[in-house]
Amino acid sequence: MKRLRASLLIAPSAALIFLFIVLPYITVLVMSFRAPAEGQPYGEGFSLEGYTHFFNESYYAMSLPQTMFLGLLTTLVCLVLAYPVALHIAFASKRWRGFLYGIVLSPLLVGIVVRSYGWTILLGNSGVINSTLRNMGLIQKPLPLMYNDFGVVLALAHVFLPFMVLPLLSALQAMDPAITQAARSLGASRFTIFRRVTFPVSMPGVQSGCILVFVLAISSYVTPALVGGMRVKTTTLLVVDALIDQFQWPFGSAMALILAVSAGIVVLIFARLTRMKWT
Amino acid sequence: MTEVSLLSLVKSYGKSIALKGISLSVGHGEFVSLLGPSGCGKSTTLKCIAGFEDISDGKILFDNTDISRRLPEQRDIGMVFQSYALFPHMTVAQNLAFGLEMRRVPKSEIATRVARAMEMVQLTPYAERFPKALSGGQQQRVALARALVIEPAILLLDEPLANLDAKLRDEMRGFIRDLQKRVGITTIYVTHDQGEAMTMSDRVVVMFDGEIAQAAPPEEVYNHPASERVARFVGNANILDLAVTGKDAAGSDLALPGGGALRVDSPAPWANGRLRVMARPEQIALTDPGAGHLGGEISKRYFSGGHVEYHVDTQCGPLVVLGPTTQTVAEGQTVALAFDPARLWPIPDPKGPAQ
Repeated sequence: MKRLRASLLIAPSAALIFLFIVLPYITVLVMSFRAPAEGQPYGEGFSLEGYTHFFNESYYAMSLPQTMFLGLLTTLVCLVLAYPVALHIAFASKRWRGFLYGIVLSPLLVGIVVRSYGWTILLGNSGVINSTLRNMGLIQKPLPLMYNDFGVVLALAHVFLPFMVLPLLSALQAMDPAITQAARSLGASRFTIFRRVTFPVSMPGVQSGCILVFVLAISSYVTPALVGGMRVKTTTLLVVDALIDQFQWPFGSAMALILAVSAGIVVLIFARLTRMKWT
Repeated sequence: MTEVSLLSLVKSYGKSIALKGISLSVGHGEFVSLLGPSGCGKSTTLKCIAGFEDISDGKILFDNTDISRRLPEQRDIGMVFQSYALFPHMTVAQNLAFGLEMRRVPKSEIATRVARAMEMVQLTPYAERFPKALSGGQQQRVALARALVIEPAILLLDEPLANLDAKLRDEMRGFIRDLQKRVGITTIYVTHDQGEAMTMSDRVVVMFDGEIAQAAPPEEVYNHPASERVARFVGNANILDLAVTGKDAAGSDLALPGGGALRVDSPAPWANGRLRVMARPEQIALTDPGAGHLGGEISKRYFSGGHVEYHVDTQCGPLVVLGPTTQTVAEGQTVALAFDPARLWPIPDPKGPAQ
């Protein structure tokens, strides 16, 4: 009876997940094995063409390491930028904390398209930064700030910073402040305390923040499209290109699945490397 | 072993003063408790000694060396926290090894010292466990071992038993006390529990409002409190405000309402010609009406296993008396109270003795 009631409670979310995640994935999986066709999304019968095409054409195949590289770099940049912020907020007074929270969350208040265009205004060849530097006579030719990995990682890190700060913050706030005092009383310097106590104890936050940012970064479309200007080829861009512009549904589906599985593998390896026996 | 001296320690936070000039000397291997209600400054004192709080004025000496300006990590202290503060990501053995690693003790020596410390707190079988897998009492023993394994100059304990349940707390009292005596380390123990302070300490330091009210051995604090506030904070106190009918060099004669008379050893009455004397509940005997010094009526009777607690309405106000369980006195019964003049304690006049 109790079990029945419990399953009734999860029924709505289970139905949602089934309808909008499991079923589409099955559809995508089936579609990825359909034969390609001219003049229509897919043809009769089944084939492995979608997969072989991806791995045989380096134009497509190389997008995968490129996407993973961007994802990992964005994650690393977010972690390095977010950690001091999280530390600061965790030890800030209550009155400040709300204000700082607001600042951290502020990138999320602006729509993704607007924010990405904002970056193009800043980073473009005749953008704010380049024209300022040129007017000051510091540079002759504009610095390549966008349409490359640098611009994309910068813009992605900006958007996803809150997703790193918040898990770090909750991990740091869950930490007993007495343990840093204990470490000091045992003779540890501040740096040693950070390296051997604070950081390892905040590992659950590091782990979830990194996974969150990585997954969001590799699957993002608008920012790489606008700031990368189609010159930074991520798999996600190619998936949309195949599905919508080229109308090759089997190929697009195959790429989407390859990306999802690759992301899953990276996340699994990361989780394995950062496994914590103590939680 | 180290001697700790606090010289006129002052700690202020802006305008509010947490410590108003604390002076205290803790001898080699002595176990001293700082006892007081919350906000009395006992924890602040401990944090100043540990170095987690800067002091505003005064000095802290370890064996005549001024360490007031040293960082906590340079003070050579072992500290035990109320929350245990174990490193959650390290095993018991790693927790104990941490302080030794910070002191760059050779690896082989670390292993033997950690093993010895674990034996000392009877946790050898748990060496490879993480703190989460231990009970509260076991965690507290790990914390104690972690503080002691580095062989610090002094041991500081900040309400270490507050998070344990009552039975475990009693066990740990004895455990800590025995361990401290065996190791012979100078120890400062902060607590708000007077029972804990009394049973464990060589000396109890009672603090109120950022000042030391009394620093003396437990018996002295209990039997001869320096003030009414100390008397009431440490155990149950009956305070009788009595008129002085005569005094000489040896003592004072006191009159009780209802015709009783008592003589106590006292230098002088209070300024208003009266004397406030303290009698602990177990120092008063219940007798038949007519006998004793003071008449009264039992208003409440509480049986508590080892003894019976009576609340008695008297002309000196409501008093609390502890009686043996062999005696049967019912609520509402008229009785008389007999005091032992030798154990009555005349509370010193806060304004100084009257001349």
